[in-house]
Formats: sequence, C-alpha cells, structure tokens
Amino acid sequence: MQRTLAIARLTWKAAFRFRLFWVLAGVLLVSVIVLPLLLKDDGTARGFTQILLTYTLTVITTLLGFATLWLACGTLAREVEECQMQIVAVKPIARWQVWLGKWLGLLLLNATLLALAGGSVFVLLQWRAQQLPADQQTILRNEIFVARGALHEPTRDIESDLERIFQERLQQTPVPPEQQLEVRQRLREQLLAGMQVVPSGYRRAWRIDLGWRKALLRDEPLFLRVKFHAAQTNLTGTYAGLWQVGDPEKSAVWRARFSQAADTFHEFAIPPNHFDEAGQLTVQFVNANNTALLFPLEDGFEVLYREGGFGLNFARGLLIILAWMGLLAALGLAAASFLSFPVAAFVSASLLIVFLSSGTLSGVVAEGSISAPDHETGEVQPSWFDRSVIGFYRVLLFIVNAIQRFSPIDALSTGRSISWEQLGLAWATCVLMMGGLIGGAGMAIFTHRELATAQGSS
Amino acid sequence: MSGRRPFYKPALALLIALLLAVVGFVQGQLNRQRAALGLTRVTPLENAPPMLAFTTVALGGFRGLISNALWIRANELQNDGKYFEIVQLADWITKLEPTFDQVWKFQAWNMAYNISVKFSDPADRWRWVKRGIELIRDEGLRYNPHETLLYHELAWHYQHKLGQNLDDAHRYYKEQWAREMEAALGSSRTNLAELVNPQTPELQRQAETLKTQYKLDPKIMKEVDDQYGPLEWRLPEAHAIYWAVVGLKNTSAEKQNASDLRTLRRVVYQSMHQSVLHGRITSMEPFRFGPDLTKVESASDAFEKMIAIENEIPDAFRGAHRNFLREVVYQLFVNGQRREAERWLTKLKEQYPGAVPPGMTAEHLALARLQLSEINSMGHDRVKAVVEGMLRNYYLNFALDDDELAGGMEYLARSVYSNYSTNINRAAVSLPPYAEMKQEVLDSFLDPQSGLDPRVPARLRTKLGLPAATNAAPTAPSNP
Repeated sequence: MQRTLAIARLTWKAAFRFRLFWVLAGVLLVSVIVLPLLLKDDGTARGFTQILLTYTLTVITTLLGFATLWLACGTLAREVEECQMQIVAVKPIARWQVWLGKWLGLLLLNATLLALAGGSVFVLLQWRAQQLPADQQTILRNEIFVARGALHEPTRDIESDLERIFQERLQQTPVPPEQQLEVRQRLREQLLAGMQVVPSGYRRAWRIDLGWRKALLRDEPLFLRVKFHAAQTNLTGTYAGLWQVGDPEKSAVWRARFSQAADTFHEFAIPPNHFDEAGQLTVQFVNANNTALLFPLEDGFEVLYREGGFGLNFARGLLIILAWMGLLAALGLAAASFLSFPVAAFVSASLLIVFLSSGTLSGVVAEGSISAPDHETGEVQPSWFDRSVIGFYRVLLFIVNAIQRFSPIDALSTGRSISWEQLGLAWATCVLMMGGLIGGAGMAIFTHRELATAQGSS
Repeated sequence: MSGRRPFYKPALALLIALLLAVVGFVQGQLNRQRAALGLTRVTPLENAPPMLAFTTVALGGFRGLISNALWIRANELQNDGKYFEIVQLADWITKLEPTFDQVWKFQAWNMAYNISVKFSDPADRWRWVKRGIELIRDEGLRYNPHETLLYHELAWHYQHKLGQNLDDAHRYYKEQWAREMEAALGSSRTNLAELVNPQTPELQRQAETLKTQYKLDPKIMKEVDDQYGPLEWRLPEAHAIYWAVVGLKNTSAEKQNASDLRTLRRVVYQSMHQSVLHGRITSMEPFRFGPDLTKVESASDAFEKMIAIENEIPDAFRGAHRNFLREVVYQLFVNGQRREAERWLTKLKEQYPGAVPPGMTAEHLALARLQLSEINSMGHDRVKAVVEGMLRNYYLNFALDDDELAGGMEYLARSVYSNYSTNINRAAVSLPPYAEMKQEVLDSFLDPQSGLDPRVPARLRTKLGLPAATNAAPTAPSNP
C-alpha cells in the first residue's frame, strides 16, 4: 500500500509541477463564474437555478472527463515513451502497484478539483438565492434546494389478476386455444385501462402509504407530481379536474380545482398533515371534462416529500461524478498500458464520445438498423451488416445506460433525492465492477508489457 | 528523396492544379444548387453581433449538425416536461441558423403556443408567450428584416394569441400587455405626434423605451394610427396591425409574392374587426375591455382598401367584409345605437345584396343572432338563465360606465323575456315578473360573496345611489 501511495503522491506532485492542477482549477472556476452571465433562462428564479445547476455541473463533468482521460493517457504512456517508467520498473514495486498508484493519484486530483468547483457552484447558488425576494427563496427551498423522495402507489400484480379473470372468462365462455392468447391480451389491456383511465365524470383514487415517514412529515408540505393524457384534445389544450387530498372520515381534506394541460408533468404543493393516523394519504381526482383522461402507471402520479437537505444531496451528486471520473481514469490508464500516448488519447476520447451519444445508440437499437428508414413506408429493412452490428450496439448501450442512469445532474436540478443506496450502487457499478474489469485488464497488460521496446523520442 | 524521378514534383503540382480545377467546377455548381434550394445564405448577415458573425462563418456546415443536436435535446426535454433550458436552446438553435426564417417561427411558436399552455398559472403562461414574441421581434427580425413570414408570425402572435380568446389565460395576457403599454406610452398613447419629435425628457424616455424595448417606431405608429385609427395601443390588435404594416413596407422585392402579402393584409382587416369587437379598455382597475364601435368606419375602410388591392381572391376578402358588416349591425344594436345599426344594415344590403332578407331590420337581425326560436324551445330554466345572464351583463357594463352596452343588454333581456312570455303562456313554465328577476340579479350582483372584484359592486352602488355595503361578519346560528 505504501508503494502505491508513493506513486499516487508522485502523480499528484507531477500535476502541480506541470501547473496542470492550477490551470484546470482556473478553467473550472472561470466556467462556474462566467456561465451565469451567458445563460438565458426562462425568467424565473427557479428556472435560472435549474439551468445554472445543470450547465455548471455538465461543464465541470465534461472538462474533468476529458482532462482525466488526457492525464491518464499521458501519465503512463509518456512516462513509458520517455523511459522514466523503465527506471521505476526496476525499483521494488510491482507494475500493478504503479498502475493503481497512478489511478489513485488521478482520483485524488479529481476529488480535489471537483470539491473546489462543486463548492464554488454551491456557494454561488446560495449567494444568488439570498439576493432573491422571500417568496422566491421559499420556492427554491421547497423545490430545488432540497432532497425530495418520491412515493408511488404500490405496484399491483397484474398477472395474477389477469389469470383469475381469464379463468373466470373461460368458465363462462369457452375460448378455442388458438384464440386464448388474443383474449388474454385484450383482458390485459382492459385491466390496464381500468387502472389508468378516468372516464368523464368519474373519479380515481390513489392511496399512498407514508409508512415510517409519517412522523417526519408532520407539518411538512407535500407535492403531487402528475401527468395525464387526454383521449380527445380540446380547443384550449387544458382539462379541468378537481383534486381532493385526505380522507373526509379520517383526516383533514384539501380541495383544489385546476385546469391543466395534457401530456406534461404538473407539480403542485398540498398543505401539510392531510394523511390519516396510519400514515395513509388518500388523493382523489374527479374528471370534469367531456373526455377520458389517462394517468400512466409508470409516471402518472407520485407524491414528493422532503427527505433531506440540499447540501448533502449535492455532495452525494458530486461523489457520483467522482465515480465516473474514476472509471474514466481507469479507461485512460488501460489504453495507455499498451498504446502510445496519441493513440491511447484518441481511443479513450472516442469511447467517451460514444458514452455521450447514448441517444443515437438507443435510436439505432430501437430501429434495428443503422441506416435510415424508408421515407415512403417508414419501415426499416435491416441488412446483414445491421444484423451483425446491432448486437454489439445493444451491449454497448447496456453499458452506457448502466453508467448514465446514475446521472446526478437531473436529480439535483429538480430537487430529487440521491440516496446513499444510489451512490453506493454507482460506485459499485462504475468503479468496482466496470473500473475493476478495465483496470484489471490494464494492469495485466501493463505487467506483461515489454517496456524496452516502447522507447519513443527520448 | 534524391532517388525520386525528376518528374515527380511537377506531376504532383499538375495533380494539385487538376484537382483544384475540378473542385472549382463542382463548387460553383454546388453553390448554385445551394442558392437555388435555399440551403445557404446568399447575402451577408445583417446587424449580427461579432460573436454571431464569427460563429456562423467559423462553424460552416457544422452549424446544421450542432443545431440538430440541440434541437433533439430540446425535444427530449420538452417531452419530459423540463422547460427551463428551452429558452437557452432556442437561442442557440436560432443563432446557428439565423437566416432560416422557419427556425425562428417554429421556436417562437413552440414557446408561445406549445409550452405556455403546459402551465396552469397565467403568469407562467404569459412569460412563455412573451418569450415567443421577443424571439421574433427582438432577434428574428433583427437578422431578417425583410422576411414576410416573420412579420406575419409576429403580428399573428398579437392578433391570435393575445387578441383572441382561445387561450384560457387570454384576459391575463391582455391585461399584462395593457399595463406594460400604459407604462411605456404614458399619456402619449392618445397623442402619438408628441413621441415622433419628443420635446421633453419624459417624452424622449418614452420614445426610447418604445424603440429599444418594444422595437416600435413612433413615426410608423403615428402613420398606422392616422391610417386605421385612432387605435387603442394598449391592446394587442393595434400591434398586430403595426407589424403587418411594417411587414408590408419592409418585405424585399425578391421575397414579395402575392400569398405572403395577402397574409399580412388579412392581419390588418382581421385585427380591425377584432378592434371593433373588443378594442376599447373600459376600465384598468379592474381591467375590462369591450367593443369599440367608433372604429366601425375605419375598419370597414380597411376592408375595402384590402379588397381593392387584392387581385386573385377578392371574393374571399368580400366575404369577410360581409360578415363584418353583419357583426357590426348586431353590435351597434345591442349597444343601443339603433339608428347606426340601421345605417350599416342599409350599407350591407346595398353592398352585398342577398346577405340578409330585404325586409329585415336591425332588431330582427340582432334577435335572429340570438336564435330566439331556439330559446323558446329551450325550456323555462334555461330561458330564465339567459335573461338573468343578460341582466347581469347589464349591471356589469353599467358599473363599468359602459352605459350604451348596458342599455343594449337590458333591451335584449327585455326582448327575450317578452318574446318567451308571449309565446309560452302556460303558468307552470312562465317566468317570474321582469322587475322581480331584475332585483334578484341586482341582489346577487351586490352580494359580497358573489366572487366579483369588490370594486365592481361598489361602483354599481355609487351609480345607483345605494348605501355602501357593510363589512359585518355573517352571524352563525347559535345552538339553543
């Protein structure tokens, strides 16, 4: 361990010696300070804070990401090319320890830079918030500068219900075996519709169990986040509905009438203490339109509640970004373990661009072809080439999604909680699993590499 | 190197020359095709700040790619209901394609029409509508001062989004716009001449605000006002007309085609029509607006002017004029200007024979508009509701000092009442006495729980000479 730490210390010292640390710190700080002056927001304090958080964290991640790759490739490949590594290699230190020491050094460097840049963003946000009027500050405190958890309706076991209804149906009217699949499908759709659709003049109730949180949520406002689709669009595009929160027999009741647009999310606060003694929150919606409305099961309704403060949530978000940096450092070092500096930098930067192009990847996988669909028919005719590469794309997309799903930027800008569990999972996936695999391969290659054949200009 | 043959370098030079010649030939052809298909700018970007001019040149063909990527991101965010980045993305997208008018049009429309209605709060909606207007007015037209499409789009935002009533929050938009314009124009809104040559610091400040913030040229405002007005510049229709007129003036010769110009002319007469229907602010506190029948003459003139210019489809314009005249007769009648209503009915009959039956009077026309035959078959409760609604409108307009409209409403209420009572003489479905109904509506109007802005019943009390309302809290019945 001491040897590994010695290499880490040397990597750290090199970053200062070459003034790299100061340059990067300067660039990051300038970005954080200059960005707010350049951004165009939607005119609300909330919108400005959201865009500021999103863009500053994106810029920090991108800058640090490319710098990490560059550094990782440079610190190993150039030392091999300039014959410095050959001198280290003859010392009583294993090659894998050199590799790990460099990775650790890069991670520490990133941690320091991230803390510096992240801290500046945090201070900037808090400072700007303090300049705002009290009502705007309250909005920010309730909706952005907070870590909000989400509660959903318990998932219903559709399959067992479907099976029961299907068997009842078979007993009533026998269905030939060849039609059973279709009947089952139709019943499933009916069942799903019953759970999602609110016909005109009807109501839909959601019961949310706050569980152990009920004691913590006393006197705390809750937020409903809803989204619905309309069966028929009307002239104004908005639909009237009556929301009732609370059970009249068991708790206080709050009612509100809203005219809300379809196909988008609406978030509104509900006053505190409208759940019953058992911690059950009952929410009802009455459809006051001439058309049916559909609340999707997956994201049509959720209750947001305060789970913690913004500071700790923000720190957890930064730690996830650090996990990404750890993975990139491993990637850069692994590439530099067997490639020259420019090639290693090119290869790892290309992989980073692939990582940033998940939208294109998912589009290709969804369409089943890398070529454009037929403009007349809209259909895709996969060629032999498509068939051979789509599998590879699918694996690539799986890996990219596994890393990207931890993205803290979206959660931070919408005041959603990043749990310790998510953070642990991010580190386990990005650093231990993927970083471990890439690092293991890099260390193995570097250990078996013939260093003497890699002399460059020196 | 020394081992290479002596012709090697001349051969390379020849190859370079040959390739350059081929590129020159192909490039010329490509440029012509790009110009013909409208894929490139043929004129330099006007009024562009140095950064934008540099970006458009330096990025070259990559601008389209970046713009596409940003557009995809904007769509994804919009689908997820995240709008906070949209203004920034729209800014970048339009700056990357500054001379592509459809890009400006789409981004502005998206903000003003698609995104605004996603919000329940009118203030949120108004912010997005304004963003849409500002995008075209402050930036789109700056880089494309000769694009008819953008002038029409901007005018349409004023005429349709603010002026019409298709958005739930249209009253809020009108009120906010009126307040902004009142602050910007001050007392000069009725005397634009003093803004053309501002003599006092206050007038100079106002003229400057109009130019820099609202991109309105007082000189053109005065011209428009002289030609079509006097217009109510606190309402959106005046601005729709202004931008349509500026568009007609500025449209470049090569872009002038009949259908584009026609859309601008339509904005003028349609906005004049709207001005007649609701082009007068009757009260700022609380904000109320109503018909402005003083504009009938100038609106009709605008129609006739546009008909005279129109060569291809004058019948469509005439049809619009005929409908306008019918509307005018009704409006004049319900506003108590019966003699004027008859005069315009005569004009309608003369100009468009067959538009109304020859013996029809203005009263017949107004009552026909109300579909009295249908009212009689509606049933007692609904007729009662209709009469009460008219009486309520009577009191509302009376409170807001619109005595003419109030008088017209009262006349119509009485007409509907008499018509129903004459035709339906069964006691079981007869209406209560007219005076009783009127008193009932008045009582409900003055009730503090009516939900009306308290200033309105207070004004009505003053006008009717009634004592002021007491603020005593209602007493709850006590248990014995």
